[in-house]
Amino acid sequence: MRKNKLLVVLISLFTLVILMAGCKGTGPEGESAGAESDKTESGKTVIDFWVSWGDGKADWFNKWIDKYNESQDEVEVKATFIAGDAWDQKVKAAQAAGTGPDVMTMNYGSIVFSAQQGKIQPLDEYVDPAIFEDLHDFANEFVSFDGKHYAYPFNAEPGSILLYRKDFFEEAGLDPEQPPETWDELIEYGKKLSKDGRYGLTAAGNTNDLAWSHWGLQAMTGQLPINEDWSEATINNEGYKKLFKFWNTLYEEGIFPKQQPGMYTEIQPLVDGRTAMMFNGSFTFDALRNEYADVVDKIGVAPLPTPDGNYKQPTSAMGGWTFVVDGNSKHPEEAAKFIEWFLGGDPEIMVDFFELSNFSSFTGRKSVDEALKDHPQASNDEWRKILLEKVIPYAVPEPIHAWEISLAYANALERVYLQGQDIDESLKQAEKEINDYIEANDYAGTNPRLQ
Amino acid sequence: MKEKLNIYGLKLIGFLVAILSIFPLIWMAMAGFKKESEVLSYPFKFFPSEWILTNYIELLQNPAFMRSIGLTLFVAVVATTLIIFINSMAAYVFARLEFPTKNFWWLYVIMTLFIPSMAILIPSYIVVAKLHMLNTIYVLIIPGIASAMNVFLIRQFYLNIPTELEDAAFIDGANRFKIYWYIFLPLSVPVFVLVGITAFLGYWNSLIWPIMTISDERLYQIMQLLAYFRSDQGNDWAMIMAGSTIAAIPVIVLFLIFQRHLIEGIKISGIK
Amino acid sequence: MKKLSAINRSDKKTAFLMLLPLIGLLTAFVIIPLFYAVFVSFYKWNFYQENIFIGFENYKRVLSDPLFYKAMWTGLKFAAIVIPIQFVLAFLFANLIRTLGGKFGGFVKTSIYIPHVISGVVASIIFLFIYDFDGGLANFIIQSLGLEKVAWLADVKFALASISVPAIWLGFGLTTLVMLAGLNDIPKTYYEAAVIDGANAWHKMIYITIPLLKNIFLYLLVVGVTGAIQQFDLPYLMTGGGPLNETMTPNLFIFTHFTKDPYMGYTVSSALLLFVILAVISAVIFKLFNSKKMDS
Repeated sequence: MRKNKLLVVLISLFTLVILMAGCKGTGPEGESAGAESDKTESGKTVIDFWVSWGDGKADWFNKWIDKYNESQDEVEVKATFIAGDAWDQKVKAAQAAGTGPDVMTMNYGSIVFSAQQGKIQPLDEYVDPAIFEDLHDFANEFVSFDGKHYAYPFNAEPGSILLYRKDFFEEAGLDPEQPPETWDELIEYGKKLSKDGRYGLTAAGNTNDLAWSHWGLQAMTGQLPINEDWSEATINNEGYKKLFKFWNTLYEEGIFPKQQPGMYTEIQPLVDGRTAMMFNGSFTFDALRNEYADVVDKIGVAPLPTPDGNYKQPTSAMGGWTFVVDGNSKHPEEAAKFIEWFLGGDPEIMVDFFELSNFSSFTGRKSVDEALKDHPQASNDEWRKILLEKVIPYAVPEPIHAWEISLAYANALERVYLQGQDIDESLKQAEKEINDYIEANDYAGTNPRLQ
Repeated sequence: MKEKLNIYGLKLIGFLVAILSIFPLIWMAMAGFKKESEVLSYPFKFFPSEWILTNYIELLQNPAFMRSIGLTLFVAVVATTLIIFINSMAAYVFARLEFPTKNFWWLYVIMTLFIPSMAILIPSYIVVAKLHMLNTIYVLIIPGIASAMNVFLIRQFYLNIPTELEDAAFIDGANRFKIYWYIFLPLSVPVFVLVGITAFLGYWNSLIWPIMTISDERLYQIMQLLAYFRSDQGNDWAMIMAGSTIAAIPVIVLFLIFQRHLIEGIKISGIK
Repeated sequence: MKKLSAINRSDKKTAFLMLLPLIGLLTAFVIIPLFYAVFVSFYKWNFYQENIFIGFENYKRVLSDPLFYKAMWTGLKFAAIVIPIQFVLAFLFANLIRTLGGKFGGFVKTSIYIPHVISGVVASIIFLFIYDFDGGLANFIIQSLGLEKVAWLADVKFALASISVPAIWLGFGLTTLVMLAGLNDIPKTYYEAAVIDGANAWHKMIYITIPLLKNIFLYLLVVGVTGAIQQFDLPYLMTGGGPLNETMTPNLFIFTHFTKDPYMGYTVSSALLLFVILAVISAVIFKLFNSKKMDS
């Protein structure tokens, strides 16, 4: 009897020991990251750097980080590449527990709120102000909040452009150098280009993708679905009616498939000839040039068609990435200095990146653009030229209003083209949804950009 | 004659559903042999037009990938053992023992079954951070050990075991733990196989928790590594499918080894 | 009498000792976080600034959001599609495997279980390819039957059903296996006695099999329903919750807020409300089972 009791005690103890061992972290791999280990054996300060995407660029990051580590003996930057699937969970949990990195990547849309909540720190007091003078206006605006700079731009990319197959244009008797410029033209071209087994156009087809990939189209109507101080819905108007009618026609005429082929970000349907035209982002250039070199010559690039055919208006929202210093970082100066060196220093670093990513995104820095002018590949890049000339100068920044607003737009559009609801009614409903949201969340006047 | 036809009919149905069930997996394995651009190709193609072995070979020769498989295996085995032991002990208590506050503790345990992971994702991360468990092997194993679902399942199983055996043991002077250890544990093989496989799978396929708590590459779990491939290699579906196929093999093998024990459940009925 | 109470006293100590590891671990990693979550749900929770107490504001926002109700409803609908089909299929196949027996039965059993080993992420990717509008297997079959192509994931009528298929596919094997284990546990003598009494196959099922599987059914139902309502991977990767939020399951809804909201309050409150709903549903299932006189 006693023996068995002993056994119980032993087992409980065993469990507890495991627990405690875990608590102390004395295991073989028991060192913890983040704020805990901020010195290397040689006394260098460790700067943790979390990168949210790899896209095959991890080697590039490491190459230049190594160079930075060798260039001085104060700081050692350690990069961790985190799979996109759980980036949000990892970052938010680490922020909540105070175990976040010193530096991380952040998209433009998150900067303002993060700055407002103190999740990231301004860089100004640690870095040479000249690096901000080097920024294009749009990039400078992106990273600024309340008169300070809270991030430094890494890249920028237009989220919506038109890609099309020149060979199919010729087949259909259209001029491959004259892509459609107006919405009506697009419909007309789409009809001519569609045939059995080929759609005239593909674009985002599911709610989430619609919600963000239409920011460019929304801008063409002259306003976002919500007004600037976030006090009122601005979706029930002629501009949106026209946009909805345009989109619905694409669908009704069979130019557009009932279900988007594959995933939105896939370029494959254009490559294998399932579609003649496609709305997508400039990031597709990378895959096109890497994996489908044999069709690159057949592909044309243009701004999205606009209601009146004039490209000198916003046709795309600009997204992109920056580096930021965490609000809890114990070494903000070292962290900021690293960002300054990496993104704001030698233009060669970023030129190297754009070369590696096949010029599928753009820089926010004047000096990098200067350097790219002399780059044989970049200066001869037709696609790049078109975007630099016709899209980027007019692009709008990614909106920062609540996701619900974008969702209300996407749902309104879906009601029309999936369920055949009357456009007026659908927009009225969306207007109500947005206004209800504003009321329920005391949303009016909370736009941090205006504060 | 009619009965024979029936059996053949049943066999045919069974065969068709069996094929239907494994078809997507075979497709996944096939995709691993395809060229990157062919996985999504249109029209639908089952076999690769050209068999490519490089995806599989590259992965099998990738030390990070193989080490991750080994480590995940270790984590899953240790965790599964602990899960079976700790949860079955509690299940036995809830199935057989009477003590004050029993209802309270039963509710205490069972309500955790319904907690959506999103509700406690950040708070439980804060707990493990405060316990300095981040980036250790313990954070992968320990937080998932206690599982209301398993307590529930094992208890259901124990409730079905007739009390005659224990009565005899009681008369012989055995205490409760002894009865659990010598009578219940040996009878539990079928339910343990079930719990074990499910628990093992849970650990094997866990993705969000490892990504959140582990930054040290040496501790990467297999699904974490595959997710990293997915975001690092862009849309190299062939490679991803090959990786997923290799990652599925250990679990399938394990299942094949243990599945016969489920049939051994028949033996238990002998005691009824 | 005296002896019995002596046993009871030792029970108490043994009981707590044997429960200790479970309770300890649950408390540390589930209950404490839960209480923490409840606590912060009353605050404007900000990791870097002082938390601001706002009472029930977060809950009020969730409860005034029509999309929250729609998501809960979608979760229920999803469970209502998946669970009955899974149950009937699993019950039939458990019986079929038992009837076939031998190697062939083993082959069928193994084949239908194996999909369970792959993760929801991989399953989603596989089924995205199957549902592809042009090159997918599903439309290939539909067209060879002479019908018009179906927008499986984009059509409001089909989307939820379409994502239910992989859910059934993933879970059906395990359900079958559990039922099979239960079936194998029923002594043959019960059936033999029933046959002597003149029972047919239908009677055997109604009066022996189903009542004796009660505990198994209860387990499968609670786990199945709560699991189905919490489905995340499939809609997340296959439809993103669309079209028109038709496949926006509660967890996907919560996750969307988790990633897009600048504050965490809404996310935590809606997750806690989901917790309450799941607990209530399960309590109802328990009640229903216990009220029926099915004790063997």
